[in-house]
Amino acid sequence: MSKLPGLGLVSLYVIHTIIFWLYPFLWGVVIAFKRWNIISPEKEFIGISNFIGVLYDPLFWISFKNSLYFMAVYVPLSIVSALGVALLLSRIKFLQSFFAVGYLMSYISAGVAYSIVFSLLFSGDGLINTWLSKINITIPWFSDPDIAMASIALIVVWKYLGYYSLIFLAGLQAIPESLYESASIDGASERVKFFKITVPLLNPSFTIVLVFAVMLSFNIFTEPYMITGGGPLDSTQTFVMQIYHQTFTALHAGYGSSFAIIVAAISFLFVFAIRKTVERDMA
Amino acid sequence: MIVIRDKKLKKHSHTIRMVVIYTLLGLGLTVMVFPYIWMILASFKIPSEIYNRFFPSRFTLENYEMMFSAGQGGSDNLFIRSALNSLVVSSIATFSVVLIGSITGYALARLRFFGRDFLNNFVLFQMLFPAILFLIPRFLLMLELGWINTYQGMFSPFMVSAWAIYLYTQFYKTIPQELIDAARIDGCSELRIVFSVMLPLSKSVTAIVAIFTFMSTWDEFLWYIIVTKDYDLMPLSALLGLFTRGEYNSYPGIQTAGAVILTVPILILFFFFRKSFSKGITMSGIKG
Repeated sequence: MSKLPGLGLVSLYVIHTIIFWLYPFLWGVVIAFKRWNIISPEKEFIGISNFIGVLYDPLFWISFKNSLYFMAVYVPLSIVSALGVALLLSRIKFLQSFFAVGYLMSYISAGVAYSIVFSLLFSGDGLINTWLSKINITIPWFSDPDIAMASIALIVVWKYLGYYSLIFLAGLQAIPESLYESASIDGASERVKFFKITVPLLNPSFTIVLVFAVMLSFNIFTEPYMITGGGPLDSTQTFVMQIYHQTFTALHAGYGSSFAIIVAAISFLFVFAIRKTVERDMA
Repeated sequence: MIVIRDKKLKKHSHTIRMVVIYTLLGLGLTVMVFPYIWMILASFKIPSEIYNRFFPSRFTLENYEMMFSAGQGGSDNLFIRSALNSLVVSSIATFSVVLIGSITGYALARLRFFGRDFLNNFVLFQMLFPAILFLIPRFLLMLELGWINTYQGMFSPFMVSAWAIYLYTQFYKTIPQELIDAARIDGCSELRIVFSVMLPLSKSVTAIVAIFTFMSTWDEFLWYIIVTKDYDLMPLSALLGLFTRGEYNSYPGIQTAGAVILTVPILILFFFFRKSFSKGITMSGIKG
């Protein structure tokens, strides 16, 4: 065989990657060290000033804090509910795939569409509050700065619940039944079996769900942009909203780029930390 | 005696457990599906009933009529146009991701050439980089190419997917060498082998790659609002998002009708290809 066909076949991928991946990536790094407003041809090299500027930007820290708040609600709630659904699904045979598909339905809703739905459903005088008011409760879901981010986390939990459940379900189905049987013979209770067999053997699923959830927490944009626009009182500002605003409204392309690099570095660090602390070698 | 009662008791408690499990699953499913049902009902309500009633007192099509009559100059309908824009952008991206994914996957899995191992690793390496790193420089690239406000500006970054290449590469490693050899003896070129041997054998991978690519490019929002300027060029997600924040801010009826139009095509895809959706998710779970 000649060596040409192989190179010929990968050429489309290689060309596209150079133009739309490698070149933009390098360019992004270069302009992060420049002051540039997109419109003017002038690009001034300013060293690491942009990076320092980001670290002194109060909105960077507000967004960081908001992301952590989002994560603190989103991660435990998703994991507990998705694992719960997966455990229930793993115990049934009849209608199992019907329920699995039903729970997955929310995953396919477009960001814009479900943001519209929940913003109306959870609005001050919306249906949920109309129902809650019958027991004399109304919750200012998106208008109270203390809970707006938690409300957004809640609707994202809705979206990904079925998705994470499926990952857990696949993990549960990979655990050999014989382990549970021999534990039963040894007289282990359900509780012991859950913590000594299920949880440790589900480690790969836990790791992947955690990594997905943390990456999502740092990259959230459509929901706060559509529902709250970052408010009230900046309580739902996120990194991506800041990068969008700095670059496309304020036209600070260099600043936006250095912001994006810092955000990418933060999510790398978090993912690395999860892999170090949560992930166990299964071999 | 005691043994028999014990068995009965066990059977009894098993039934109770099953009832509890199905009830919990049913309740959960109701909560999960509720927003969809509410959305569809709301889109047929008169606006005053959207906030405080679950069932409409009467059904109306006025939300859809208003949405579909929105246009600039009256002749052009914005929402129908934007749905077509979405269809064009997502279809081209999907077609290209499948095509380049399978061709590249075949070369990486089955051919020997200089740089193959490097490329195999590079595909994995690419998947580690978050999209946010590319947002600004890709926009600048579009400026430089003069592709702002064009179709190619919208779909060009999405034409190749490292994830798709990875899936195809993994799958093509499992196909028996005899099939490839037989095709070569028949005089097939390598490209022919991809199209007449490999792709027909990889329908399940292709279904997964195609539906996930179509869905993600259909739902994409941020890139489209950055790269388009004119309403009549925007995909549906961008137009609906911007109108909801702007002109239609106080028209919840039109917003929900728009949300229905944005959701239904993917919902139909989902019901036809639900197995591929589940499989795609499980595979990504195992891969990580």
